[in-house]
Amino acid sequence: MSLPNRLPAPMGLLIDRNQPLTFSFDGTAYQGLQGDSIASALLANGRFLLSRSFKYHRPRGPLSMAGQDANSLIQLPHEPNVLADCQLLTQGLEASGQNFNGSLENDKDAYLGKFSKFMPVGFYYRSFYKPKGIWKFWEPIIRKKAGLGVLDLDFKPEYYDKAYLFADLAVIGAGPAGLQAALTAADAGAKVLLVEQQSILGGSLNYARFDIDNRRANTLRNQLIEAVQAHANIHILTQATCNGWFADNYLPVIQGKRLYKVRASQCLICSGSFDQPVIFRNNDLPGVMLTSAAQRLMKLYAVKPGKRAVVLTGNDDGYLAALDLYEQGVDVVALVDLRSGPSNRDLLVALEKRSIRCHLATTVYEALHDKGMRHITGVELRSITGQGQVAGHGVTLACDLLCMSGGYMPVYQLLCQAGGKLAYNDAAAEFTLSGLPNNLGVAGSANGRHTLDNVLADATNAAATALTALALPCPTQQSFKAEARVNFPWPIFPHPKGKDFVDFDEDLQVNDIINATRIGYRDIQLVKRYSTVGMGPSQGRHSALPTARLVAASTQRSVSETGITTARPPFEAEKLAHVAGRAFDPFRQTPMHAQHLAAGAKMMPAGIWQRPAYYGKASERERCMQQEALHVRTKVGLIDVSTLGGLDVRGPDAGELLNRLYTFAFLKQPVGRSRYALMTNEQGVVIDDGVCARFAEQHFYVTATTSGVDRIYQQMLKWNAQWRLNVDIANVTAALSAVNLAGPDARKVLQTLCTDIDLSSAGFPYLGVRQGTVAGIKARVLRVGFVGELGYEIHVPSRHGATLWQALMNAGKAYDIRPFGVEAQRLLRLEKGHVIISQDTDGMTHPDEIDMGWAINRSKPFFVGRRSLDILQAQPAKRKLVGFTLPTGSPKPLEGHLVLNGPDISGNVTSCEHSQTLGQIIGLAYAAPEQSTPGQQIPIRVDGGLVVQATVVQLPFFDPDNQRQEL
Amino acid sequence: MSNLHAQPLLDVGALQQCALIDLTALPRIGFRGTHSADYLRVRGFELPEAPNRAVLQADGSQVARLSQTEYLLLGGLADQGQRIADEEVSWELDHNANYLLPRQDSHAWLQLSGACISEVMAKLCGVDLRPEAFPVGAVAQTSAARINVIVINLGPIDLPRFQLLCDRASLAYFKAAVLDAMSEFNGALLEPEALRH
Repeated sequence: MSLPNRLPAPMGLLIDRNQPLTFSFDGTAYQGLQGDSIASALLANGRFLLSRSFKYHRPRGPLSMAGQDANSLIQLPHEPNVLADCQLLTQGLEASGQNFNGSLENDKDAYLGKFSKFMPVGFYYRSFYKPKGIWKFWEPIIRKKAGLGVLDLDFKPEYYDKAYLFADLAVIGAGPAGLQAALTAADAGAKVLLVEQQSILGGSLNYARFDIDNRRANTLRNQLIEAVQAHANIHILTQATCNGWFADNYLPVIQGKRLYKVRASQCLICSGSFDQPVIFRNNDLPGVMLTSAAQRLMKLYAVKPGKRAVVLTGNDDGYLAALDLYEQGVDVVALVDLRSGPSNRDLLVALEKRSIRCHLATTVYEALHDKGMRHITGVELRSITGQGQVAGHGVTLACDLLCMSGGYMPVYQLLCQAGGKLAYNDAAAEFTLSGLPNNLGVAGSANGRHTLDNVLADATNAAATALTALALPCPTQQSFKAEARVNFPWPIFPHPKGKDFVDFDEDLQVNDIINATRIGYRDIQLVKRYSTVGMGPSQGRHSALPTARLVAASTQRSVSETGITTARPPFEAEKLAHVAGRAFDPFRQTPMHAQHLAAGAKMMPAGIWQRPAYYGKASERERCMQQEALHVRTKVGLIDVSTLGGLDVRGPDAGELLNRLYTFAFLKQPVGRSRYALMTNEQGVVIDDGVCARFAEQHFYVTATTSGVDRIYQQMLKWNAQWRLNVDIANVTAALSAVNLAGPDARKVLQTLCTDIDLSSAGFPYLGVRQGTVAGIKARVLRVGFVGELGYEIHVPSRHGATLWQALMNAGKAYDIRPFGVEAQRLLRLEKGHVIISQDTDGMTHPDEIDMGWAINRSKPFFVGRRSLDILQAQPAKRKLVGFTLPTGSPKPLEGHLVLNGPDISGNVTSCEHSQTLGQIIGLAYAAPEQSTPGQQIPIRVDGGLVVQATVVQLPFFDPDNQRQEL
Repeated sequence: MSNLHAQPLLDVGALQQCALIDLTALPRIGFRGTHSADYLRVRGFELPEAPNRAVLQADGSQVARLSQTEYLLLGGLADQGQRIADEEVSWELDHNANYLLPRQDSHAWLQLSGACISEVMAKLCGVDLRPEAFPVGAVAQTSAARINVIVINLGPIDLPRFQLLCDRASLAYFKAAVLDAMSEFNGALLEPEALRH
């Protein structure tokens, strides 16, 4: 394949000439090569226009070719705002422009630029809110114009994940400094993580030229890369971006669809520096690019960036770039040096030898363009007469490429996030960094070292500092040689007609910044917020330095006094998918889970447990639940209660611990008996309940609510850490599997499987607890009455849970046993008026409000919450949990529906169900004390605003004498 | 009595690459209390000298020390964990501060093996489990995939493997999470028989 702009080898480090790819941009088919970015492939085809600017819809082409600007934002089928100079080309890719009205070539909104005088910074703050109500007119118009690209709302989520990475030293950036630092540290024995944003190592060695003969970079690059890649102590991540710095070198590094959470003992930032634009009229049009971008195009992608070039520079590197262009067949019309001459006279000689004319102390005053501004056609040069001032006349040169570099800005973002302070060095006209944490270093051009020798020495020294901190042997410190200045102090040349862009992302011109200061925004942070400078995709990479200079000059301060805006993570745009990563949603299953599914259970979450809600189709929930409940009332049912919290409390002080933690008394609780256990916190609020079973003198088994057990376990450990009682507390929730066998026939079923426990009413009465065997399995058996029927809770080691369940189901066949789920259990307990902590209680409930005064032992000296309860009980009651009924057929209140008391809200419904057994709707609700007398009517506001009058009744609703559960 | 450490492996290739084996059926127990160390020594166990350390026993069973006074005993393959199962049966609550913890019922047990196990765990857990930071004999009581997990490294060096113990009720969840993390390493779920002759 042969394209007019493609250069011969050895240009094109990244491309594979043997693998052509076809793709389309804005409906036109193009060819590229494997390894091309979308932008490089388009430029190889002579296509420079990639995008339209945000505000004025000006045509834009590549600026940095490094993903550091908004000029290359394009639309992919499933993703907007993709950087065309970073996105790897793939076969068949369909890309298009974005942010245009009509077509990218002929954007109808490009006329907006002609009205830029009427749309200064902040004009919309002042223009669209008067007269009152006019915003409604403007809003849809502005919203339509705002924003870039189109979201694909049918996008299917993809797999993103996260992983930790650990290293002694993390080196960010694999240019000459990063490579040298990594090698130095690895040679000394450190485990090094080397993070590089590009797909190949080398950084500026891959594209920049460091000497007239162009030998040093390639030789050094090969040496360093070969050594680094062969080193066992260096872990290399390419195409990886360190997107932030957090305390103790916690570094988020994005590579592909993974976010690495790097933990490094030491970190060294070798992030290099950004080539800076020169500010003049039309400095944003296609054909104008940073000098480094032209070099990247040639060396990385073998793309000839233009036919006739002008190089505008503020340092010696522009001369070397001119040599690069010349050698690749570009007609270098002129080198324009902002300075009075290069620091190295040999450069001037080298260009003169090649008949490249050098214009000294000169600038490009304006880039000229064709109709439609789709590419530059030439430049107007003017002599520099003062800071930002030029002669009245100049010369015009025809060209299709203008390479510009006003100097360099350190890639300071990570360093500033770590607390580094930037100070402006007036002599060097560049920022320097200080105040970094001890475990963070900086080397290379990010540290103001620009010659290769100094970069390597700086990297070695920085690595040595890190090695010292790691207690590893380190090399001796190296010295530096004097360097020429690389930054021109004032590369800003305002034009009376404007379009001299400071911030390409936001279409901000020189006057926009100056006007912001004149309005009164003197602080750089306020200038940023008012003008939006630095708030676009490039985050001030090219605008921070000129903005600081302009604000400083406009406010008669130094650049150091002015400072720059805060750099916050992320360094570059990151997807929410990266932040979210792979979702971890823990769930717990009981040993009988498979049996529930086989029986047709509809599962529901209970905390993170999965529990059967009922057995049957979702569409028949009510019928299933009612039938299951009725079955328990009339025959026998089995429910999996393995999720119930379980705590073994053992030791000489076990009784004492429980006596202090729970409201009841437990010191004299007989072995073989259980007792209701209610827990309050220090504020007297009910936080959990359960049953406390004493199996031995020094062994209590305490149950807790499914959702509350972890908290109760924590409470026990916390309190005992203070009390230092001689007791062991073990959370055995998962270790014990449990079922509740309930119903009039429960005893008969259990008798078929349990022969070593006297199951008679006298031998094993209500609230008794026993240890024995059920179906041959060692079991703890508790007589309980939560659902109000004769019932046995059978707790066995989890490994036997499934066996126990199957044995009971088999044994119960003769009695028509059926499993029942959580919903039936909730109805059954509601019929008995039993509260569920956290459903019928809230963060304010104290025992008297739920009629649990009987569960408080006043004779013992202390329990947690005792003092608060005494205070609360001395106060007038504010609410009370009451039982209420409604006739079948009434609108059924839902949990949370409000109870009214005249114009006031006096409470809310906490539980409500229709009871087939009772033939009415029953429920629990908080109401005012004066509404709590049985027989009273309480108004409840249900769905649709309807108010129903419920009747307050005495609890429980069913079997008030407890005859059924005490059988 | 044969030694797990020295046992020839049936499927060495798969184990060395990346494998997960569910050993939940093997016996394991815990003991906690100020008298637990004496109790276990009398019964012939070699105990780790410090918390968060583990020792391989001569019979292939493993003892991890989880705190000053808590020990976790994992059954060996050679006797199918019978020695540990016997310990569970023979323990009785008495007046000594030595309390049995039902670890076989409270915790599931997975073995993760292969050269990439630290990378696999790095996708689930924030603790540095590379060999240089988490050598043979180390124990980490940490969080992996958002649940509590005990990680034990008892080697051997030539076949890196971690014993992972998590909440038994979370086994289905955690196993799926580990297998998901293993997928990029071509990890496989093997049967426990892969560890036997």
